[in-house]
Amino acid sequence: MTSQIDLEAEIQRLLTEHDRIAEQGITVHRRENAVVLGGEVESAQRRDEICRQITARYPEIEITCDIGITRAQAPSEVEEIS
Amino acid sequence: MIRIAAVGDVHVDKDVVGRYRPALEELPDRADALLVAGDLTRHGTVEEARCFAEEFGGLSVPVVVVLGNHDHQSDLQDDVTSVLTDTGITVLECSATVLEINGHRLGIAGAKGFGGGFAGACASNFGEREMKDFVGHTEEIAGRLGEALRSVEADALVALTHYAPIPETLAGEPLEIYAFLGCYQLGQAIDTAPTSLALHGHAHHGSERGRTPGGVPVRNVAHPVIKQAYNVYQLLSESVDADLVSV
Repeated sequence: MTSQIDLEAEIQRLLTEHDRIAEQGITVHRRENAVVLGGEVESAQRRDEICRQITARYPEIEITCDIGITRAQAPSEVEEIS
Repeated sequence: MIRIAAVGDVHVDKDVVGRYRPALEELPDRADALLVAGDLTRHGTVEEARCFAEEFGGLSVPVVVVLGNHDHQSDLQDDVTSVLTDTGITVLECSATVLEINGHRLGIAGAKGFGGGFAGACASNFGEREMKDFVGHTEEIAGRLGEALRSVEADALVALTHYAPIPETLAGEPLEIYAFLGCYQLGQAIDTAPTSLALHGHAHHGSERGRTPGGVPVRNVAHPVIKQAYNVYQLLSESVDADLVSV
């Protein structure tokens, strides 16, 4: 039986090694009956694919998705390096 | 004065094409060059490299990049490099380039870098062949980055890597993975040259600012850290001016 810690590790590896995901910056935390996902990705499709693949592999687990989409607006300030 | 735009870890694929372009089109008013600190793609495929070139190429400022670990995933890094260079993007790997900007010479030396860890928790070149290969790779890249940095004669010198040269810009990441996010040898290499600024990515949950032991400013420009299309850094300032960029 997969322990809680092993489950988090297995999900982390799924997110990195699955050829439709390849994300290394997603956090995975177990909260009672749910797994909470955090971090940011580059598109809504990638966020949705992460939840789809975890649900397909672990259908008994409830997924709470707090993954955001990284903003891509131009900056308004410059930093002087000295 | 030279202004450098920088970002890393943009992980471009078909679904991202168009997201950065509006901000990139404003670059000529905001910066003199764009540096990208690796992880240009998701899996390092030729198709993804073409997407990156479409999104980040054809700008009216020079674009200089290093590859990241994602860009090596398909073992096609040479093909990825060819796609980028064919569209006018400069790809550095233990090499350097000089840009003439506003009457100044901007030197940029770049390398992907590698892991290995930092003081108190670093890997050693000892034991199994796999371990010696790991640390040997770290040492080789850092040594060649140092040579590239010292080979440049410039008014301002920037080190561009994917992996981190110091632990301070990893703050926010789990301590357990620091050794996979960077190595102290990169910081040592940066300190062997009169480096003005060191830029890196890779640590999505890290922190933005730090300095090498020798005092060189380090900035983690991973996209999830800076949370905008790029940051702008000003070098060789004639006067202190950190106001809004005039557009």
